[in-house]
Amino acid sequence: MTQTRLLIIDDDPDYVDGIRSILEKANYEVDVAYNPQDGFKALESKSYDLLLLDIMMGRGAEGVMVARKINKDPNLREIPVLIITGIREQMAFLFPGQAVHPRFLPTDELLEKPVDPKLLLEKVAALLQEAKEKKAQKE
Amino acid sequence: MSAKPTFSHEISNLMYKSHGNPTKSCIQCGTCAGTCPVAEYMDQTPRRLIGMINANLKEEVLASNTYWFCASCYHCTVRCPSQIDIAGVMYAVKRYSIWNKSYSEDLVGPAFSEAFVKIIARSGRSYEPILAPTYMFSMEPKEFVQEAFNATKMMLKGRIPVLPTRIKHIKNFQEMIRRIIPIGGES
Repeated sequence: MTQTRLLIIDDDPDYVDGIRSILEKANYEVDVAYNPQDGFKALESKSYDLLLLDIMMGRGAEGVMVARKINKDPNLREIPVLIITGIREQMAFLFPGQAVHPRFLPTDELLEKPVDPKLLLEKVAALLQEAKEKKAQKE
Repeated sequence: MSAKPTFSHEISNLMYKSHGNPTKSCIQCGTCAGTCPVAEYMDQTPRRLIGMINANLKEEVLASNTYWFCASCYHCTVRCPSQIDIAGVMYAVKRYSIWNKSYSEDLVGPAFSEAFVKIIARSGRSYEPILAPTYMFSMEPKEFVQEAFNATKMMLKGRIPVLPTRIKHIKNFQEMIRRIIPIGGES
C-alpha cells in the first residue's frame, strides 16, 4: 500500500515543524508549502490525500480564499481539508465571543491552534477514513 | 519548498502577492530613507530595515519602531530604483509582528490599529473620541491639553460628531467583512 500523502499550507515555519514531525512519526508522507501560491503549485503537480490549511497568510485571511478556490475546482474538491488556525487570537477582537466559522468546504474540519497532537492525529485519520468511504460509495 | 524558510523568506511569503520585487533585489542606495518624511522619527531607516531583513536579523527588525512609524505615503515605493514595494514591506512586518504578538508594548501603533479596525467593523465609520485615548496618554501634559482643547473646539464646530454615527445598511457591510474574515455566523 502506498503511503498516505499530506500537504501543509502554512506560513509559520516553527509551527509547521511541529505538526510535521507529529505527522511524520505517525507514518504519513508530508509536503509543505509556505504560501498559498506554492500550495496551489503543489496541489497541481501531485495528488494529495489530505490538506492541512492555515487561515492567516499573505495579506490577511487568505486561507479562506484558498478553501473557496479549492471548492470551485472539480478535481481538488474531493480532497479533505483540515483547517488549523490561530485566527481567534489574531482577529477575534473584531467579533468577541462569536464562533469561528465552522465550514468553508463540504469536506472540511476546523481545529484551533495550539493543537493537541493526539487530537490532530485523530482528526486526520477520521477525515481520511471519511474520504475513503465516500470514494468507495461512488465506485 | 521543503527547506525551512529564513526570516527574509517569511517576509517575502507574506508579500507573495505584492507587485514589487522581493527585498533581495535591494541595492542599498538609500533613496527610500532620503525620501521618507518620517525617517527622522524612526530608529532604523527603511534602507537599514531592508538590509536587516535580508540579513535575517529577526529580533532587531521586530524591535525597531520603523514599520510602526511608516505613514504609508508610498513615496519610497514610487521612487525605489529596484521596484521594491517598500511600504508593502512595512505592512508585511506589521502583520508578522501582530500575528506573532512580537511588537514592543510601549508602541501606540498596535493599540491604535486594533481600536480603529474595531470601530470600523462595528459602525463603518471612524469615531475619534474612542480612537483618541489609544494615543493621547502617551503625550506630554502640554500636548495632551492642547489635543483635548482642539478636539473640544472641533466638536463645538460640528467637525467631530458628539455621538458615533453609522453608515447606512451596516448589516450588509458587516456581512461583507465576514466574507473576508470568517468569524461569527454563517457565510
